[in-house]
Amino acid sequence: MRPEDFEHLQSLLLTRAGFALTRDRMYLADHRLGPVARREGYASVEDLLKATRDLPVGSLAWSVIEAMLNAETWFRRDRAPFASFGEELAPAISTVRPGGRVRVWSAGCGAGQEAWSLAMMAAGAGVHAEILGTDLAQRQLEKAKAGLYTQFEVQRGLAARQLLQWFEPHEEAWRVAPQLRGMVRFERDNLMDAVPPEGGRYDVVFCRYVLSDMEVTRRQRVLERLEASLVDDGCLFLGLGESPGEGNPAFRAVSGRPGLFVKTARPRIHRAA
Amino acid sequence: MGGVTPRVSQSLNPVPDPRTCLIVDDSRIIRKVARRIVEGFGFEVDEAADGAEALAWCATALPDVILLDWNMPVMDGLTFLKRLRAQPGGDGPKILFCTIETEVARIAEALAAGADEYVMKPFDGEILESKFAEAGVV
Repeated sequence: MRPEDFEHLQSLLLTRAGFALTRDRMYLADHRLGPVARREGYASVEDLLKATRDLPVGSLAWSVIEAMLNAETWFRRDRAPFASFGEELAPAISTVRPGGRVRVWSAGCGAGQEAWSLAMMAAGAGVHAEILGTDLAQRQLEKAKAGLYTQFEVQRGLAARQLLQWFEPHEEAWRVAPQLRGMVRFERDNLMDAVPPEGGRYDVVFCRYVLSDMEVTRRQRVLERLEASLVDDGCLFLGLGESPGEGNPAFRAVSGRPGLFVKTARPRIHRAA
Repeated sequence: MGGVTPRVSQSLNPVPDPRTCLIVDDSRIIRKVARRIVEGFGFEVDEAADGAEALAWCATALPDVILLDWNMPVMDGLTFLKRLRAQPGGDGPKILFCTIETEVARIAEALAAGADEYVMKPFDGEILESKFAEAGVV
């Protein structure tokens, strides 16, 4: 890939997705965009990128952006956050909500494993949860909605008993069981958009391993959007090692619960002394 | 204490013995692949080619974990599992089935017979790590 093509790709990812594509990922870019070029009928990655440069940003550019996003995801990633949600948070929040309904947003849900895992945890705890999964990548969302996963995917993060309880075999794959299907809906959403997804505020937001790939000022904007989407005292789960930023007054870390941050109540108007 | 300096025995060594895993599979290749992954988790690995051989191993020393194929000559994995679980101390080892069988009824049968986890072949390092974690051994 020529340096100018890579710079164009960097700019596309930064302005549209807030994604900071570092120079050491140039090889990865060639590897990921090769299949997109073939699928879209271009002779090479260079030709594909030239087309995205010459045309207004449309579905082709989005295909390029989607291919570059980190799609790696698995069920109950890191386990502990999902245990906290299912055993502690969801039952506690449920007792203080009308109809016991807990509202959860899986932001950057990829192929849906996180959202379905949250549904399993809530259903296992007997909690009525309404879960929204959003992602930038249309192809991933289609997979999430289908709720169909390979044998490899279901074995990354799921116990055998959970597999039997929450999935049914479908041809060579496994499909999310009907009792979970009504709990989750999937929608396309760009975390960079000004307006949060419709439907009001959420009790719990999972946004794991998304922010660390973002450029710092965009990351800050996304955090503000996540804050605005949470109820007061709402819970934000980030990936292990991720944080809302040193000294960010909007969230406080919870000791003994890595990756969990609680939205702090702040006066809406700050007046200088 | 008397004037005789006691000899420091091995048991006073603060480094614990590595945990042990017995890999039971009639395929030498599968055993080799699984061994490399499981050794990577810090286990000391032994191998057996069928259930009868595995029972003989367990009569000498019970491993912490057993990775168990289903279909094997001489004695299959399910028979081995039931026999081991019926023995005194046989409920100690964590047993993970690792088999080509993917039917729901088979998985349920294995869990009901006392298996702790169930791996469907083919597997990779991430899957084994995830399943060992489920069984609480990594």
